[in-house]
Amino acid sequence: MKRKRLLVAAVALMMLTSIIAGCASGNNEAGNNKGTDTSSGKEKVEIKVWLTPQWKGVLDASEQGADYDSFMKYAADKFTKQYEKYDAKVNVEVIAGDQRDQLLNVNLSGGTPPDVFFESVFAMGDYVHRGALVPLTDIVDDSAKGDIAQNYWDAVTFGDDVYFYPFQHNPGTLVYNADMFRAAGLDKFVGEENEIKTWTLAEYEEVLKGLKDKLPKDKYSNAYPMAQYAVNNQGDTWNLAYLRMFGNPFFDEQGNIVANDEKGVKAMEWLKKIKDAGYTNPGAESVSSNDANGMFQNQQLAISFTNPILFSNTKADMESGKAKKFDMRLANIPSESGDPLSFTYVVGASVFQTNDEKRIEVAKDFVKFFSTDPELVKSSKNGIPVRSSVSEEFKSEKPLFAAYDANSKYLFNFTGNIPGYSQLREVLYPELQALYIGAKTPQQAIADYQTNGNKIIETNKASSVIYQK
Amino acid sequence: MSQTKNKKKMERFDVITNAIVILFAIVNLFPLYWLFTSSLKNSSDVVKMPPDWWPTTITFSNYADVFQSQPALRWAFNSLFVSGVATILVIMVGAMAAYGFSKLRFKGRNIIFIIFISSLMIPKEIMIVPLFRITQDFGMVNSYGGMIWPNVATAFGVFLLKGFFDSTPDALREASRIDGAGEWRTFFQIMLPIIKPGIGALFILNFVQVWNDYLWQLVIGQEKTMKTLMVGTATLMQDLNPNFAYKMAGATVAAIPMLLIFLLFQRYFTQGMTAGAVKE
Repeated sequence: MKRKRLLVAAVALMMLTSIIAGCASGNNEAGNNKGTDTSSGKEKVEIKVWLTPQWKGVLDASEQGADYDSFMKYAADKFTKQYEKYDAKVNVEVIAGDQRDQLLNVNLSGGTPPDVFFESVFAMGDYVHRGALVPLTDIVDDSAKGDIAQNYWDAVTFGDDVYFYPFQHNPGTLVYNADMFRAAGLDKFVGEENEIKTWTLAEYEEVLKGLKDKLPKDKYSNAYPMAQYAVNNQGDTWNLAYLRMFGNPFFDEQGNIVANDEKGVKAMEWLKKIKDAGYTNPGAESVSSNDANGMFQNQQLAISFTNPILFSNTKADMESGKAKKFDMRLANIPSESGDPLSFTYVVGASVFQTNDEKRIEVAKDFVKFFSTDPELVKSSKNGIPVRSSVSEEFKSEKPLFAAYDANSKYLFNFTGNIPGYSQLREVLYPELQALYIGAKTPQQAIADYQTNGNKIIETNKASSVIYQK
Repeated sequence: MSQTKNKKKMERFDVITNAIVILFAIVNLFPLYWLFTSSLKNSSDVVKMPPDWWPTTITFSNYADVFQSQPALRWAFNSLFVSGVATILVIMVGAMAAYGFSKLRFKGRNIIFIIFISSLMIPKEIMIVPLFRITQDFGMVNSYGGMIWPNVATAFGVFLLKGFFDSTPDALREASRIDGAGEWRTFFQIMLPIIKPGIGALFILNFVQVWNDYLWQLVIGQEKTMKTLMVGTATLMQDLNPNFAYKMAGATVAAIPMLLIFLLFQRYFTQGMTAGAVKE
């Protein structure tokens, strides 16, 4: 009897496990081109599209059920309905930013990369150098070139080819608490509500000193003038911008770091100087950009970093009562020359080399479709549109577009499109930590950063398909 | 006189040790307390200085956001199913293998056991690419099978349970055989009940390991509905999302089932960890 029960249990378990093995959400790898003919007479081609969270909704987050994949799913639906070459199916998945490289590397090794990836270009540049992406130069036409400024094309061009179709961009700026400025008697430094205020370096230092000395302690206890962080690579683009404050070009024409000169040392000295003067939050070596953001929201920092998405998300939280309301405005990162230091994260789609011509063809057609369709490109207003036509259309609804547009002539390409940029990010924050805790002098820190950084670039150049062409 | 003195000494010792234990408990429980109470606050109150030790205004909107905007219930089911089934299979397979290594005599037994144990030294991260390719060839990407089977092929269960079988007297098995029981019956009815604390310990250890497994579940469960709670809630931790309380709510949702499992099975866990420590 018991043996029978055992047998039944074993059979049940086997059945369960076989169900498990087959039980999948589809369980068919999207992206497999089966080449089957369908009732429409067109060949069936299936592609998979991955994106990192950019904005919610198709046109904006106010839509019902708005999610990070709403836009791409809508675009996929619109594309497949009008597509004539193949019976295309587009599968869309949202990938968290910090899961991107793990997922891509495993899938690239397994020969199953996504067909399309929609993401900030700076995070994807290394995949170009590895030969994992295909050029998109052939799908860029003159009308797109005329509508999108050259700065953005430069950011997506590696060697001679365009590898990302620019869709929107997220410029990095400073954000300041205008209420704290006023409380410290710094009214004259407060810009307009829809202005990105530009201060000279001398003015900026005056602001920092004013905040340090005059901020009323009863109202803003435990508050500091400016955010400083170096615990990891998050938010490092602002730290990179500070290193250019005194005019250092950062990269030479061969793509090597040239930060270790008089201007670079001055920038490092400035970072140490403002820390020692008490103008920044303490313990920058163990503070993350996320912590700094939290401190700013809690009015413990008067000046922090932001980009349009973070800025509008914080504003939305203030409006909904999830965060305390205060007068929050934008400013440029100052420089010694007086020109603002302006950088941006260009966001766009890339196409992976899947070694399947039909899938690559469909993927390119899809990228071109949603990057040029007059209705779909309007969604780029959730960041800052790269297309001047879209900026123009929404300028009354989004008054900051004009301010961002005015900044575009000061843009610098912070990655230099060099190979190994993601590895390069790992060598800056240890040097900043050493600087802040006094383990290295500014001269040593910048020299070591340059030496270590150039080693990484050199190694990656050797395997870069762009440099080895 | 000396007995009273000893008793007093013991009492003092108890007070001190209890105080230390309570202190450690507070230190260990505080992050959980902070996580939970922060999830009931508004975002700006999470980073408030000086902090509110208890939320001044309690809001459940962060939990509503987690469950409304994300398939968190599905993620929780996926985690429970994958961890539960993988652990049951590990116990079944591991117990049989451990019994074989411990009680059966066959050629090459020690060498095979050493090979088994050696596999524990290889981190999963090293095998992830070949493992992914194999799973892909079996058509198990985005499937429960792909999430479960690689977690079953682990030598840890064999290693742990062999120790328990080793501590049971051989005479028991011999007596059972003399009484006419076959090997299967001896295994299931005599030996397995004896090592119940070991099975309890293996259950909780393996369940926690599979529950917390991040990298493998990340690469296999690529579709939103196939994500586990660990992977799914990690997607909420975006730098661009300034709502700290929302992230705390996500982390709480991920932590609660694990806490419940631990509370339910802690008796077996502690028994399992101490069993075999002394010879009786």
